[in-house]
Parts: sequence; C-alpha cells; structure tokens
Amino acid sequence: MAVVTAAEAAPVVSHDDAHQTNTGVSNNKLAIWVFLASESLFFGAFIATYFLYRGRDAQFLKGPSPTSLLNIPFTSVTSFVLLMSSLTMVLALAAIQRGDHRRLRIWLLATAVFGMTFIAGQVYEFTEFYRQGLHLGTNLFGTTFFVLTGLHGAHVTIGIVWLLSLWGRSMQGSLPQERAEAVEIAGLYWHFVDVVWIFIFTAIYLIPQH
Amino acid sequence: MTDQATEVTEPGAAVVPASEGGGALVAQSDHAPVAAAGHSNHPTPRQYVLIAVVLVIVTGIEIATSYLNTGHTNLIIIALFLMAALKFFLVAAWYMHMKVDQPLFRRVFVVGMVGAGIVYGIVILVFSSTVLKS
Repeated sequence: MAVVTAAEAAPVVSHDDAHQTNTGVSNNKLAIWVFLASESLFFGAFIATYFLYRGRDAQFLKGPSPTSLLNIPFTSVTSFVLLMSSLTMVLALAAIQRGDHRRLRIWLLATAVFGMTFIAGQVYEFTEFYRQGLHLGTNLFGTTFFVLTGLHGAHVTIGIVWLLSLWGRSMQGSLPQERAEAVEIAGLYWHFVDVVWIFIFTAIYLIPQH
Repeated sequence: MTDQATEVTEPGAAVVPASEGGGALVAQSDHAPVAAAGHSNHPTPRQYVLIAVVLVIVTGIEIATSYLNTGHTNLIIIALFLMAALKFFLVAAWYMHMKVDQPLFRRVFVVGMVGAGIVYGIVILVFSSTVLKS
C-alpha cells in the first residue's frame, strides 16, 4: 500500500478547504447553498402571498390602484442595474482567482455601487407611492407589495454591507488569493438576491394588472 | 481496496488500513479529484460578459412583451415566466457556477427551489379554490 502524506497530496486539492472536511466539499460553500435553499422557501412564501391576494381587493380598493402607481420604465432601469451588478460580482471573483487584487477591489466596489443605486431607486419608489397615498395598510396590494419588495431590499442592503466588508479586507491586505472562496460565497448570495428580483420584477411589474 | 491504493494522511499520523476502519480516509481521497476541479473550470470573463449580454436582451424582450396589448393575457404571462426562468437558469448555471461546481450544491439548491414550488403551488391552489373563492 502506497502512503502519501497530506503535504505531498496538497497540490491535488484546490484552496477551497474541501480537503479539511469529511464530505470532500467545502463546509462554507455547503452552508451557503443550504441557506440559499431555505431562502427560496422564504421568498416563495411572500411571492405566493402576493399572487394569492393579487387583484382580490379590486371591488373595495382604497387608495391608488397598482396600474396608476407602477412605473415600469423606471423599475426596468433599476432591474438592469441589479442585473449588471451580477456581472461585476463574477468579474470580482475571476479577478481574485487570478490574484488581481486591484481589479477585485474595483469590481467589488462597482457591485456595491450598483446595489446602492438599486436601493436608492427603491427608496424613491416607496416614497413616491407613500406620497400618492399607498401605505402598508391601505389595501392588499400595499401590504403584499411593501412586504415583498421591502424584504428583498433588506437582503440587497445586507449584501452591500457584505461586499463593502470584503472590499475593506482587501484594502487591508487580509483577503489573499487563497481566500477567494470568501468572495465566491458573497457572490452566491448576491446572485441569489438577483435571481429573486428577476421573479419579483416579472410578478409585480411585468404581468398585466387586473 | 487493493494494496496499490493510495491513502492520504497527515504527516506523522498513524496509517489505518481500510480494512481496519481507514475507509474514511479513502473516501476523502476519492473526493479529491472533484474538489480539485475548484475554480479551474469556471467560465472566463469573456463568457461572463456574453451571458450578461444575453440577460440584457432577454430583459428587453420581457419589457417589450409586457407592453403587448393582444388580449392574450395568459399567453403573455406564460411567455414572461418562461423568460424569467431562462434568466434564472443563466445566472444560476453560469454566475453561480452550478453548471461546473460540485453536484451536491446543485442538489441542495434544487431541493429548496422545487420544494418551494410544490409547497406554495399547493397553497395557491387550495386557498384560491376554498378560502378566497368568493
């Protein structure tokens, strides 16, 4: 039987810590995938609730109607910005994987700025709706709309903080190429938030209202 | 396990033959080639940009479709959801590396997505036909 020490075997295994686990896969990556699977159920609950109550209070609708409020061109632009943030996120990952820390910082910052632009758009939209008389308790549309998009916005905000913390660590030199998995995990979260918005955008804005 | 098989151990650690419970070590080394795939098979930046271009085009078609006034609302809704599903697939497969990463991650995520689809599909059907029927 040939015996090889871990040091000799090291080049075979990538630096994603997979060799330190019993499963042969990275615990951190497995954890984020399990978390994202649970997030699918979380957002699924609110999207299902939105569809359940969609158009059901038409006969006793108080306040402005969804048709008069929703600004598709404006939200299309913010959706485009969020979509592009997914591109900058993978470019940040590609940069750290090849050891290009300058580009890593540029792309991380670009992703965070795109995220902040999206949130700024959402804050503007919420303010505008509120000014026109749609509050959380005005009608079923107000309740389901603010809860669903608000929770998504909260996730984007957490993602922005996460990205900025990675950017700060990189500036301090404490995010070496060997820790590329930290960027990959943040990226998985960010892309998930993006794909959730793909469905929210379709459900609320693009599907014709009653 | 044959005598020609290789075990990976920490330096100085006792070598436990597979027949005496050393199977876990063998299992780890069996996984190594998969783990070694790492990020070496991730798409290139050029491919990432190409995917982004496709995503932008599909989004443009989605927005244009939402403005169609054909009277076939159900067809429009189906088309919009198919395009959303295509965008989801592109982001998940290429940007989240589900296409090239460990199959275990894909399985875990698919269980969550399919589970959500089944659970909330049932909820919508049940509530639509009973509680909210009026």
